Amino acid sequence: MNCQELRDMYELYALGVLDEGEKAEIDEHLGRGCETCRRGLAAATALNSVMLSLTPVESPGRRLKHRLLASIGYERPGWFWTGALAAALMLVVALWLATQERERSSQLAEVRQTLLQVTAERDRLNQAVRFLSDPETRPASFGRGQLAPPHGYVLLHPQLGVMLIASNLPAAGAGKTYEMWFLPKTGAPRPAGLFQSDGLRGLHILTGPVDLDALNAVAVTVEPAAGSAAPTTTPIIVVPVGS
Amino acid sequence: MRLFKLIPAVVAYALLQVILRRDGDADLVRRLKAHEPKAMADLYKRCGRLAYSVILRIVRNTGVAEDLTQETFLRVWNRVGSFDAERGALTPWVLTVARNRAIDHLRSMDGRMEASAVDLDHLERAGLFQDLDASALSIDRARRLKSALEKLSANQRAVIELAYYEGLSQTEMAERLNQPLGTVKTWTRTALQILRAELIEAAIA
Repeated sequence: MNCQELRDMYELYALGVLDEGEKAEIDEHLGRGCETCRRGLAAATALNSVMLSLTPVESPGRRLKHRLLASIGYERPGWFWTGALAAALMLVVALWLATQERERSSQLAEVRQTLLQVTAERDRLNQAVRFLSDPETRPASFGRGQLAPPHGYVLLHPQLGVMLIASNLPAAGAGKTYEMWFLPKTGAPRPAGLFQSDGLRGLHILTGPVDLDALNAVAVTVEPAAGSAAPTTTPIIVVPVGS
Repeated sequence: MRLFKLIPAVVAYALLQVILRRDGDADLVRRLKAHEPKAMADLYKRCGRLAYSVILRIVRNTGVAEDLTQETFLRVWNRVGSFDAERGALTPWVLTVARNRAIDHLRSMDGRMEASAVDLDHLERAGLFQDLDASALSIDRARRLKSALEKLSANQRAVIELAYYEGLSQTEMAERLNQPLGTVKTWTRTALQILRAELIEAAIA
C-alpha cells in the first residue's frame, strides 16, 4: 500500500487495533523512515489524545493519590507534620492519662488504708463495748490516786479475754513498744500482746478464753518493737487480778 | 450506545485547558526525570482524574480502575527517562498509557491477549508524543471534535467506541456487530475522516 491508502489507518494503528496485515504495512513504512507516515501517525496520536480527553470525568477515591505517592516513598510534608503532630499529641495525652491513673491508684490505696484503719478501730470499739456490757466482765483498776504513774482499768472475761485501758503512759521511745504480760500464780510471765499508745493513752485487747483462776496479775513493760519472750524491763503497770 | 455523553460546557472548557496545555511540561518532565517525588504529585494533580476516568470508562470497575491508574503513573515514572522534555506532550502520553493499561486488562479478561497479538507497549514509546501538531491540541479543535462526534451516525459512533474503549480490531468489530467486515471498515473510515477533517486534516495537508 502507498501512504495515501494508509492515511485512514493511522488512528487505528496508534490505538493498537489495526488488523495484522495492515499494521505490518505501516510498520514497514515507518521502518524505512517514511516521513508522510511519521507525520500522519503524529497527527493520529494527537487526534486520539483529544478523543480520550473528551471522556466524561469521574473522581477516584481519595486514597488513590496517597497510595500512589506512598508507592514511590513520598508523603507530602504537610501530611508528615500533621501525622507527627498527631502522634506527639497522642503521646502527651497517653502520658497525662497514665499520670492521672497513677494518682487515682495512689489516692485509692490511701482510701483503702484509711478504711482498714477505721474498720480496725470500729472492731476494737465493738470489742470494748462487748467487754463493758457483759455481766461476766470483772474490772480491776490500777494507779488510782497516784499522780505520775499510769492509771486505768483491766477488764477480764473468761471467754472474751482481757482489755487494758491505760492513761498517763510514759513514752515508749523510738523503736520500742508496750507489751502486756500474764503473771500466773505459778510459773513464768506469759506474753499477752503488743500495743502502742495514742498520746498518753493506750487500749489493748487480747481476745480469747483466759483461765482467770490461774492468773495472779496483768503487767505491762516497755520492750523492743518486735516484742520479747520474757520481760526485759521493770513493769510500768502491775495489776493484781487474783480472786 | 451512549458514547461521549455531554459534559457541562464550563467543566469541559476548564478541563481542556488543563489537558491540552503544554506550558510547564518541560519543567515537570525534568523533575520527573530527576525522580523528584513532588513531581509525581504534580503530574497526578494535572491528569490523574482524567487518566482514571479513561480507565474506568473502559474497565467499568472502580477498584480495578484505581489499581490500573496507579500502574499507569508508575509506568510513566519509570519510563520518563526517554521522554523529550522540550518536544514531548506529557498529558497525551499519560492518557495513552492509561488507555492501553485498561485495554490490556480487558484483553486479559476475555482471552484476547494472544488472539490480537497486538503489543500496545510499542505504541507508548515516548518518541511518538514528540512534535504533536500544536494546532491539533488547541482547545478550539477539541471543541470542534466534540461537536463532530455528535454529528456521527449511530453506527459510526459505535465503531469509534469499540476502537477507543474496547480495543477491538475491525475484524472483531464485524463479529461483535454481526456485520460484513467491509461495512465496518466503511463506517470506521468515514467516522475517522469526519473527525480528522475537523481536527487535523489541514495540519497534515
